[in-house]
Amino acid sequence: MNDMNELALLENYLVVGALLFGIGLVGFFCRRNMIVMFLAVEMMLQGVSVSLVAWGRYHNDWGGQMLVIFILTVAACEAAIALAVILTLFHQSGSLDIAIWQQLREENQRAYVDREVPEELAEPEPQWPKLVPAGVEPEHDQEEITHRTHV
Amino acid sequence: MSGSMATLLILIPALPLVAAIVTAVFGRGALKAKGHWPVVLALAASFIASLLLLAQVSRQSAAGDAMVGWEATYDLWHWAGIDNAIQTPAHAVAAQDPAGVLPASLPFTIDVTLRADALTAIMLSMVTFISLLVAIYASGYMHGDRGYWRFFSYIGLFVFSMTMLVSVSNFVLLYVFWEAVGLCSYLLIGFWYEKPAAAAAGVKAFLVNRVGDFGFALALFLIWITYGTLNFHDAHGVAGILGQTRLADPELYVGGTVATAICLLLMLGACGKSAQFPLHVWLPDAMEGPTPVSALIHAATMVTAGVYMVTRCTPLFMMSDDAQHAVALIGLITAVIGGVIAMTQTDLKRVLAYSTISQLGYMFLGLGVATLGSITAGMFHLFTHAFFKALLFLGAGSVMHAMGGVIDMRRFGGLRRLMPTTHWTFLFGCLALAGVVPFAGFWSKDAVIAAVYEKAQHEMLFQVLYWGALGTAFLTSVYTFRAFFLTFYGPERVPREAGHHAHESPPAMTVPLVVLAVGALVVGAYFEWTGGFADLLSRTPSLAYATLHPPGAEHAPDTHLLIGAVSTVVALAGLGLAAFLYLGEPAQVLALKHLLWPLYWLSHGKLFFDEIYDLLFVRSLRLLARFCYWLDRFAIDGLVDSIGRAPSSVAAGLRSLQTGMLQFYALAMLWGVVVLIVTLLVWPAVAANWK
Amino acid sequence: MNDLIAMLAGATLLLAVGLWLMLPRAGATGRSLGTVLVAASLGLFASQLPRMGGWISDGVFFILAGVTLLAAVGTVTFRNPVYSAIWFGLSLLGTAGLFLFQGAQFLGVATVVVYAGAILVTFLFVLMLAQPEGHASYDRLSWGPRLSALTGALLVGLLTLAITSVFQNPVVSDRPAAAFTAPQMADEILADQHMAHLGARLFSTHLVAVEVAGTLLLIALVGTVAIVAQIRKPAGGGQSHE
Repeated sequence: MNDMNELALLENYLVVGALLFGIGLVGFFCRRNMIVMFLAVEMMLQGVSVSLVAWGRYHNDWGGQMLVIFILTVAACEAAIALAVILTLFHQSGSLDIAIWQQLREENQRAYVDREVPEELAEPEPQWPKLVPAGVEPEHDQEEITHRTHV
Repeated sequence: MSGSMATLLILIPALPLVAAIVTAVFGRGALKAKGHWPVVLALAASFIASLLLLAQVSRQSAAGDAMVGWEATYDLWHWAGIDNAIQTPAHAVAAQDPAGVLPASLPFTIDVTLRADALTAIMLSMVTFISLLVAIYASGYMHGDRGYWRFFSYIGLFVFSMTMLVSVSNFVLLYVFWEAVGLCSYLLIGFWYEKPAAAAAGVKAFLVNRVGDFGFALALFLIWITYGTLNFHDAHGVAGILGQTRLADPELYVGGTVATAICLLLMLGACGKSAQFPLHVWLPDAMEGPTPVSALIHAATMVTAGVYMVTRCTPLFMMSDDAQHAVALIGLITAVIGGVIAMTQTDLKRVLAYSTISQLGYMFLGLGVATLGSITAGMFHLFTHAFFKALLFLGAGSVMHAMGGVIDMRRFGGLRRLMPTTHWTFLFGCLALAGVVPFAGFWSKDAVIAAVYEKAQHEMLFQVLYWGALGTAFLTSVYTFRAFFLTFYGPERVPREAGHHAHESPPAMTVPLVVLAVGALVVGAYFEWTGGFADLLSRTPSLAYATLHPPGAEHAPDTHLLIGAVSTVVALAGLGLAAFLYLGEPAQVLALKHLLWPLYWLSHGKLFFDEIYDLLFVRSLRLLARFCYWLDRFAIDGLVDSIGRAPSSVAAGLRSLQTGMLQFYALAMLWGVVVLIVTLLVWPAVAANWK
Repeated sequence: MNDLIAMLAGATLLLAVGLWLMLPRAGATGRSLGTVLVAASLGLFASQLPRMGGWISDGVFFILAGVTLLAAVGTVTFRNPVYSAIWFGLSLLGTAGLFLFQGAQFLGVATVVVYAGAILVTFLFVLMLAQPEGHASYDRLSWGPRLSALTGALLVGLLTLAITSVFQNPVVSDRPAAAFTAPQMADEILADQHMAHLGARLFSTHLVAVEVAGTLLLIALVGTVAIVAQIRKPAGGGQSHE
């Protein structure tokens, strides 16, 4: 491993870090699910971590790795707080959609609404096992059938 | 000036002012129905003081030199003063003024100075006398009015202003009190301000007067820059405009176009105040005020302010023949217009109003002829006119009082038995106005016509004026007796509004009528026979100067006799025509009306002056105002508003960035980062490699 | 230089279009085409990268990087958030591999343990808690996919351009590699007793930071409990009536 071209190594890692960061960024912009947005943010952190480790290696210095360790710590804290907040919001709106929370806009601004509604996913009819009629059929809870909280 | 004369001069205006203030302060509470007492007493005292002053002035004038005249001034205080207001370099002074009369430095001073001379004394006596009678009359006429005390307060204020107007010795102060009487006129015309017509008439009088006052103000400016002073008398080492220094040396008066301009502008002011063509339109409408006001202000005193002013400024008018002709011509045009319109009016007070306009025209005609005889004749006419016109108006007021406020002659008639005193006194007034021997109007009008006739021997223009004046005398006689016969003769008719009022008026009203009737009979003949009026008036310094340049011949008794005969014939002819038309069959009047329908149409429509002015000035001004409003509303306001709207529109643009969408904020932030990356990282790196 | 810019611009454009095609949209089509385009774009980026040494190390690196990035794209583009989380886990594994490839053994392991083991599982847990049905309409829609994809790709392109052009600069590329001579490197980052060195450095030089980070974790813990404890009050009040 020591015969590695350190300069090329650094360059490659930086490009990979940039790509990770950029892809995470796109995810953060586009996705409406708050948890997925959060995943995208974590991904951006990963991109930065990759770059930091590469720089540490290049400079033969522990600083990069130390920083990544602290990034990990902070990411853990952030994840905890963010998940708590997301849960609170979910309890208020019943949805993870970020577009519900637009109250910061100016009064005369039109709210962002979905101009095109996505097609309904065709769900296959639930196939229930057919039983031989014996005795009285138990009463089915309609909620249970459609939502199928447990099988 | 002797002390007693100064005291009198101060007392004459001061007493009415004090009475006005007292009435204004206590009228509502303490005085109530006795609200007329302070003013009546003050006016009586002022009248006595005026008579004393007149006696002193006539004694002093008779003692003095007839060619110089006599005057006395009394400084009260300096109102304003600018030392060294105009400074002329010494060599320029020497070049322009070899005589050395002009000082190198002229101060601008406004002295509150009262003057006593024949003209002032006569005006003061007349004003206070008529005012006193009118005030006594009004105490009966206005009885029970809600604004009783207010009325007498205004009257006091008016007499103060008018007496000050004729006794101040400075153009600026003259202008001030000129405006003050205008203000009183406005207040009294609009006295019944709940009545829309009265309020409108007040505003109209005020606005039309503004036009004249504008000319007057311009005349003052021109006088100041021409003569460097606005004082009448010599003061502070500056020769006053009408002071002895300048009068003694006529070379000190400016001639040419400037003189004409000054005189025409002064004349414009006089036209406004004295209701001369083309500014006469306010006076008939002013009849909306209470009748005593019409008698006092719009017949006898205030409207004569213009005549007084022109008379006072005779030396200035002497410098411009054109101005004299203009004055005479305007006088005649006004006289004819007034006479023609008065012929067909059905409102008794309006007939009298147009007759006032017409008679004022006579006065200006006399002034315009500009010989000593004509000017004194014009002033004499002013003097006698005050008596009989006040009498006629008060008589009309008496009729109106009895008829319950109705003044339309078509609705009443044959009142001679119902109101005998009013009938007889009114007859005296009519005879005087028509100029029948030996009533006052005959002597004064005769004097004016005679003066015109004399001048007509020299100038063609005055031939026209002479015949015009005679024709107007005929018209005067006709319309006067038309009104008289319609009111007092024919079948007795009383309008419904009269109610239990239809009887002779109370003594407070009839006594002034009788006094004035005696005056209308006597004053003309008395002064004509004694010759005292003209003699005394010609001792006024301004007019004494006029005797130094007499363009006309001396008074010729034979022509006077001839004119007297002619005008008597004319007056009697008019009387006869009126009697024939209005004492006889009404069908004759109708026939005449049909025969002369264009004249009737013009006369009845008051020659359509109001309509023409409305078309020319009111409408065009309204158009201009609308344009200005539009300009202000859209152009200027629009500009200001758009400045105000700019930040908010920018803000509106920026506000659209506040979408409330989290991703949008992140994206905007990222675009900032992109810009930073390009400028800080990419551009330097790429640029370094490119070399 | 012009070649580089043109190549990077093409790669950026491909990335943007590919990502846009792959992102959840209403009536989305061409996801497989998007995948191909993104892969091609990644290849283009890779073609601009220098080789590091032997083919083994190059191969290992490119496989790890490819897995990481494709998994990241999957995280971003999959409709089902559970799949997104799983793809994110794969991406984390790839990142851990890249860390190991750099010789950062502790970080590689820690990433797997902390992220994939703890954080990601918590995410999934919350996801199951909040979204029992699994198919929400907002998961199948994106906010401004075109603009977002373009912006992200543009950022990547610009950063890559900056990085590569810096490394092509002779001043940088010809610099003597004094800083990373083999003996020194072996003494520090690549030392045999990697963990011992790391721990020694962490608890000496960065001791205060470690303490602060620990306090931060505690505060986050307390804060989380406080926030979640508040949820019950309004909602609970409403439910008690039922």
